[in-house]
Amino acid sequence: MTAEIRSDVIVATERIEAPPEVVFAYFTDPALIVTWIGDRADLDPQPGGVFSLDMDQVTACGAYITVDPPYRVAFSWGIPGSGTLPPGGSTVEVVLTPDGDGTMVVLTHRGLRPADIGTHRAGWEHRLGLLSLAAGLGGPGCSCLVPRDGDTPLSSLDA
Amino acid sequence: MDQRNQPAPAAPDAVLRALADPHRRQILRLVQHAELPAGQIAASFTLTQQAVSQHIGVLRQAGLLTERREGTRRLYTLNHQALEPVRELLSEFWPDALRRLKKAIETAHPRPPERQP
Repeated sequence: MTAEIRSDVIVATERIEAPPEVVFAYFTDPALIVTWIGDRADLDPQPGGVFSLDMDQVTACGAYITVDPPYRVAFSWGIPGSGTLPPGGSTVEVVLTPDGDGTMVVLTHRGLRPADIGTHRAGWEHRLGLLSLAAGLGGPGCSCLVPRDGDTPLSSLDA
Repeated sequence: MDQRNQPAPAAPDAVLRALADPHRRQILRLVQHAELPAGQIAASFTLTQQAVSQHIGVLRQAGLLTERREGTRRLYTLNHQALEPVRELLSEFWPDALRRLKKAIETAHPRPPERQP
């Protein structure tokens, strides 16, 4: 596992001892996705299809952009109510590459802003129990797929 | 050249503690893109000016606010750099998630034992 931090991109990689066909389903099947992220999932894994993932105190949501089994899946990602990580404001791309008997998973989260503080916080909550951060730096709540800040190249997917 | 009072970067804990209060997060929202005088920040709250000053003090100590004096006024703006340590924590979200993914899959799909030749 490695992670590279750039100003607006997070890249995470992991090698998994299973073929891409097996790994891919863990991004599109609600029963499988909750084995590694979130407690409850609502997924419509087709381009333009929306998803929501309940995680502790927050719900992440977005829309699938690319669903190309078993090698590539991309989706927008955001937290409703977040001024700095609004739904549709950033994108996650997952590329699965066969690697011997296994799969190399490369996940790239793009469109993050330096002020993504207090918003993309589910990880902190898991790690640090900082539930008091729940309100984040974001503004008042908004519904999924209603971008707040204008820089939402994926907003056309909302239709 | 501005005379800016920019404290040294604080540890993630100090930054997170400073962020763990809704009023302080509201202050940061106000000065995220604009430099504001203390009075104008205080005017946005129903809190006493003293309470707002205390919050500003905590944010300054955590390095989250940059203070600039202009005559008798003190102007504040968000110091984005102070968020970097927290960003590094944030950056562990996906690696942690992928680690859980690996564990979930490899538990559900154990490899058969190696066959002997």
